[in-house]
This record gives sequence, C-alpha cells and structure tokens, in this order.
Amino acid sequence: MIRLHNVAKVYDGGVVAVQEVSMDVRKGEFVFLVGPSGSGKSTLIRMCLREEKATRGKIWVAGKDITKLPTWRVPYLRRTVGTIFQDFKLLPTKTVAENVAFALKVTGCPRSIVRRQVNTVLELVGLSAKTDRYPRQLSGGEQQRVSIARAFVNRPPILLADEPTGNLDPATSVGIMRLLDRINRTGTTVMMATHDFAIVDAMRRRVVQLDRGRVVRDQSGSGYESSDET
Amino acid sequence: MSTLLFLIGEAFVNLRRNALVATGAILAVFVSLALAFGALVFNELVRVNTLQWQEGDHLIIFLKDEGGPVAHSELLSQINDYPEVKNAWYLDKAGAYQEFLEIYSDQPALAATVTAADLPASIRVELEDISTYQEVQFRLVGHPLLRRLSVFSEGIERLLSLTGVLNSIGIGLVVLMGASAVVLIANTIRMAIYARREEIAIMKLVGAGNWFIRVPFIIEGATVGLLGGGLAAAAVFASHNLLERIPTDILIRFQADQGFLLSRAILILAFGGLAGFIGSSLGLRRFLRV
Ligand SMILES: Nc1ncnc2c1ncn2[C@@H]1O[C@H](COP(=O)(O)OP(=O)(O)OP(=O)(O)O)[C@@H](O)[C@H]1O
Ligand SMILES: [Mg+2]
Repeated sequence: MIRLHNVAKVYDGGVVAVQEVSMDVRKGEFVFLVGPSGSGKSTLIRMCLREEKATRGKIWVAGKDITKLPTWRVPYLRRTVGTIFQDFKLLPTKTVAENVAFALKVTGCPRSIVRRQVNTVLELVGLSAKTDRYPRQLSGGEQQRVSIARAFVNRPPILLADEPTGNLDPATSVGIMRLLDRINRTGTTVMMATHDFAIVDAMRRRVVQLDRGRVVRDQSGSGYESSDET
Repeated sequence: MSTLLFLIGEAFVNLRRNALVATGAILAVFVSLALAFGALVFNELVRVNTLQWQEGDHLIIFLKDEGGPVAHSELLSQINDYPEVKNAWYLDKAGAYQEFLEIYSDQPALAATVTAADLPASIRVELEDISTYQEVQFRLVGHPLLRRLSVFSEGIERLLSLTGVLNSIGIGLVVLMGASAVVLIANTIRMAIYARREEIAIMKLVGAGNWFIRVPFIIEGATVGLLGGGLAAAAVFASHNLLERIPTDILIRFQADQGFLLSRAILILAFGGLAGFIGSSLGLRRFLRV
C-alpha cells in the first residue's frame, strides 16, 4: 500500500530531514512511526501526501508512483488517503456535519449519498448528537473524532495520522486509538507518527523508528522502545 | 450539478463573512463603472445635440416688426441666395407664438401673459456647413431689420470644438475606469484568499481540486462586479431622470434615448461581471500550487 525506496528529503537551506528510507507497508497493516523530535516523521508523512516532494527516491501510494504524479493529479491522491493531524485541521466556519461532508463534496458526490455517508460515519465516531456544532464548540477529543470521521468518510484504503493524540489527555487518547484500531480492522492501512509510548506499548503493532532521518528499527508487534523479542 | 450549487453557496457564505471588504469593493467598482457609464451617456448626449444642430436650425435671425411680412420675405429671399445657406424659412408671429406655447406647454401661467404680438418673427437658417455661420453673421451686420442673431452660434462652435475632445476623454475614462474595476476586484479576491489561506490549505489536504477552490472566488468576484455594475447603471438612470426634468428649450437636450440607455446599462452590467471574472482570475493567479 505504501512503499518507499531510498527516499531522501533535503529542505531548502540544506536541512536533511530524511535519508535512505526504504520500507514497505502492506494492505491492512498498522504502523507506528516513532523517534525523537526532528527525526523526520512528519516529513515522511507529508511526502506520502505530496505536501512535500521527495528529493530522491521513489514513493508508491496505493500502487502509484507519487514522485512522478503531475500536480493536477495530487487531489486524487489525497482522496485515497485519509489524514489526521495533531491540530485537527477542521474548517472553523463549517459545522461538524459540513466538515465531514466536505471530503465527499470535493469528489463531486451527490447530495443524498453525502448525507447518508456523513450520518453513518458520525454515528461511528459517536458524534451523532453534535452534527450541527461548530469546531470551537467541541472538546479536543471531539474535534479529533470529527477529523477522523472526515478522513474515513469516503472509505480511503490508507489513513495517515501525524500525532493524532498529541493534544489530548491519556483517557481521550485511548478513545481515539480505539477508533483508529476499529478503522484498521476494516482493512484500512494506517500509518501513525507518535511520541505516545503508552499507546505504542499497549497496541503492540509494527514500529518503525527514525533517528536523524534514517530508519533505525523496523519491528513487528513491538513497543516504543526497542525489544529483543521478534 | 449539486457540486456547482454547493460552490455557489460557498461563494455567498464567503461574501457574507467578508461583507465589509466586499462592500468596499462593490462601492469602488460602482464609482468607477458609474463614471465610465456616465462618460458613455455624456458622449451620447453630445452626439445627439450636435446632430440636432447639424440637421436643424443653425441660425435664428429675429426680425424687427418694421416693414412687416413684405420686407421680411424680401430679406428671406436674400438670405436664401447666400452661398453658405442651404435653406432658410420664415416663422411669423403666429408661428413664433405656437412654438412658444409648445416649449412652455408645462407652464401655462407664463404662456397666458404672452400674446402673438409680443413675439418677434424670425428667419431660421440651415447652413451647408455649420462652421460658416460667422460669414452669415457678417453679411447681416447692421441690417435694419435685424433685431438679434440667435445665440446658438457660440454653443455650436464650442460644442463642435469640444466633441472630439469629449469623445476621447470619454473613451479614455471608460477604459481607465474599467481597468481600475478589474484591478480592484483582483485585489479584493487576493485579500479574501489571504484571509482564508489556512482554510484553503485544509481543503487541499482533504483532496479539493484547484477548480473546487477557485470557483467560489470567481463567483465572488463576478458578484462584486455585477453588483457594482448594477448600482452604476441604476445611478446613471436616476441622474438621467433628473437631467430630463430640465426644460428642453435651452441649448442642450438632456434626453438620451431609453433604448440607448438600456443597451449601455446592460453593457455596463456585463462589463461588471466580466471585470469580476477577469479580476478574480488575476487574483487567483500565482496561487494554488499544491
Ligand atoms: N518546511 C521545512 N523547511 C526546512 N526544514 C524543515 C521543514 N520542516 C521540517 N524541517 C526540518 O526537518 C527535520 C525533520 O522535521 P520533522 O517535522 O519531519 O520531524 P518530526 O520527526 O516530525 O518531529 P516532531 O516529533 O517534533 O514532530 C527537522 O530538522 C526540521 O527542522
Ligand atoms: Mg512532526
């Protein structure tokens, strides 16, 4: 589903954020990206969304080489990849339902289907009672649920999350992780960057650890810190 | 289809959120288009008025009563022989009274104080070439029957020399004001984009295509242009209605043809919309690289 081959990213000004990264994430996998601050986790995720272009190497997302993708095709890439961020990135002037519906509207989805899908997904994340609220009227955990609903509403095969629990307390984080786990169990591939060792340790999934832009560990069923069992 | 409706809805929600800036832009577009439209109408008025003179009476020679119709008709045949004169005809006291009644038909009180005897007979002269009116004037200087030569001459001369200039100024104004409307709208759209840049970034992240983001801005710009143009058309219609009330017997006619006004109003409206379209497209240029 996501394949990186010898990928490097050098930002303008010469900062080397990622180098020689190769990895292969198969369909339905759940991968944690861990590593110290500045190790290149966000850069990796942004390259998979074509928010940044890889300086070297190749990246395949859902079977397509996105390093060669023409700019006008980028929106189509992003419709096959749901995204969740630490700061939620909700549209402040739209209600919960409108925010979720937006991800479908951009695909030209007819209104009747939009309404049905939005209702289903909001039910899934437990926000059916708050569809008409604005983001500022919600707690952080609720806002993150909205953004998960938006990421998932058009059933993308891939979900990318950059520190989705970074702004939430531990109890709320557990709720968010449960949601992501459920989504993963429907067959969606999930890649999530995080600093939250409690979560990584509890879930015991594949962990890819970065350090100064390089992969220093890639271990299945692992925890936040390196473990000897394989 | 439902996407287009959605985008139109977005455009109007954004206009409302941005009401202050949008109102400013609408007013500015209104002013520039009103000036442009006003220039068009003014040019038309000048054209109509000079046209009237070209076709109608170029000189009016008011006559003294002495000698009566016999002496008058003698002078008339003399004037008809002048090489500059294309046609001259005689309007007697009764005719003058008739004309007076027509001109002041809306002021019967004034008409009641005047009788046919109070009004002078006159000779109306149509010239071959209206720039030769001074020759005729010279020929008549000191003629015993001459009471007064018509005041039209100065107006003719001034207007004739002015029409060319006025036309160029008018066209210049139209072009300049049109361009400024485009620039104004481009600026407004750019400000709107700047104000909404975070939202735009989010929309792109969710997979919105360029046109999905652009179309509401273009609709926004076109709406600003149309509203500004509509106000301009309304203002020119209103001021034309005011001008129309000025009695028509003085030098200049202030009526432009309703059909002319309407066609130009539609033109200005369409131009407003077009300016909005071009302006917002310009404002959107350079932006929206993924
Ligand atoms: N737009 C940018 N321009 C230049 N340098 C950048 C840019 N974005 C990130 N960097 C640099 O690239 C390196 C990797 O940053 P990145 O954000 O990928 O790290 P991270 O692992 O996500 O860190 P954190 O855990 O703090 O989020 C850092 O040294 C950072 O300063
Ligand atoms: Mg980061």
